[in-house]
Amino acid sequence: MIIERILIALLFLSGFAAIVGMRNIIKKIFGLNLLNASVVLLFILEGSRIGNQAPILDADITNMVDPIPQALMLTAIVIGVCVSALSLALAVRLYKATGSLDIQVITERLQREH
Amino acid sequence: MKKLELIKIVITVLLCSLLVVPIILSNHSWPTHARNYLLANAQSDTGATNTVSAIYLGYRAMDTLGETLVLLVSVTGTMAILVKLGKEQTDEETTSFSLTPEKRPTNRLRTHLLETVASKLGPIVLLFGFYVMLYGHISPGGGFQGGVIVASAIVFLALGTEVKSKLTSTFVLSRIESLSFLLLILASISGVFFESGFFGNPIKSASSLSANFIILLNIIIGLKVGTSIAVMCIAMMGGSHDH
Repeated sequence: MIIERILIALLFLSGFAAIVGMRNIIKKIFGLNLLNASVVLLFILEGSRIGNQAPILDADITNMVDPIPQALMLTAIVIGVCVSALSLALAVRLYKATGSLDIQVITERLQREH
Repeated sequence: MKKLELIKIVITVLLCSLLVVPIILSNHSWPTHARNYLLANAQSDTGATNTVSAIYLGYRAMDTLGETLVLLVSVTGTMAILVKLGKEQTDEETTSFSLTPEKRPTNRLRTHLLETVASKLGPIVLLFGFYVMLYGHISPGGGFQGGVIVASAIVFLALGTEVKSKLTSTFVLSRIESLSFLLLILASISGVFFESGFFGNPIKSASSLSANFIILLNIIIGLKVGTSIAVMCIAMMGGSHDH
């Protein structure tokens, strides 16, 4: 159980490091997606600790996993898609406006215009 | 300068890990009350065998309405940003792969192989998406999952050229999306007139199929999610496709 948790923590931290450290805004958006994926995996892992059967009520089901984290993560996945679509559209717009995807070059060029 | 930045990034990530890693690694036991309640009551309360569907369309249908609203806002924002860019002028050029010299848009992502395979895969994936959508109450799946598969089928149809379909035009897709959102709101308030409250089931006693309201909501949400995500993808592929 501990090895999955360490891997999820590493996934979360790599997503965070991509948001903080990368200069390319497309890579920052990928970092956001990694954060989203790690949170989804953490919830599914927590829900699966009290059972080992899929949450579909057949006749012989006794020990199913908790379905509530799965239902919550359904929402989180859709919201994650919305966030990445909107941020990618903004990235396209920034590229069209300034001609670069590098966040520092974008800031310099926008400051020069004003 | 470069080294200083690297040190700053490492310190930030370490601080973040101080906050987050204890939460991820905590071994606190997970409560079982909710699972036991759902195991005993979910089928008689909502009629759905799939408890995940029973939660997001039965117990917490209000959340699903909010979620579709977020999706609607996101699609509106994306379309507003992308449409303002205007249509890009694509140059036509003859490709060296074709047998007869033909003019094609200069887009290196679109090849003959992709167009042929995608247009043949499209209808099959569309059928699978509707299967996942319609059987969401008794098997893994549901409106959101089926809707995303439908969206990928529409993207396949838009990439391909052999099957011509009205489904790939953003005009038709956005009309379907608006209509299904209207239907969702109508379905959500219909319970009020039959004394079962907001998002209550108005046809509980009318049919022998116990999960009827969940099937209806699954279909509406599947259409909504599928067309919204397809509209966003087609807008990102460069507006309405050009055959």
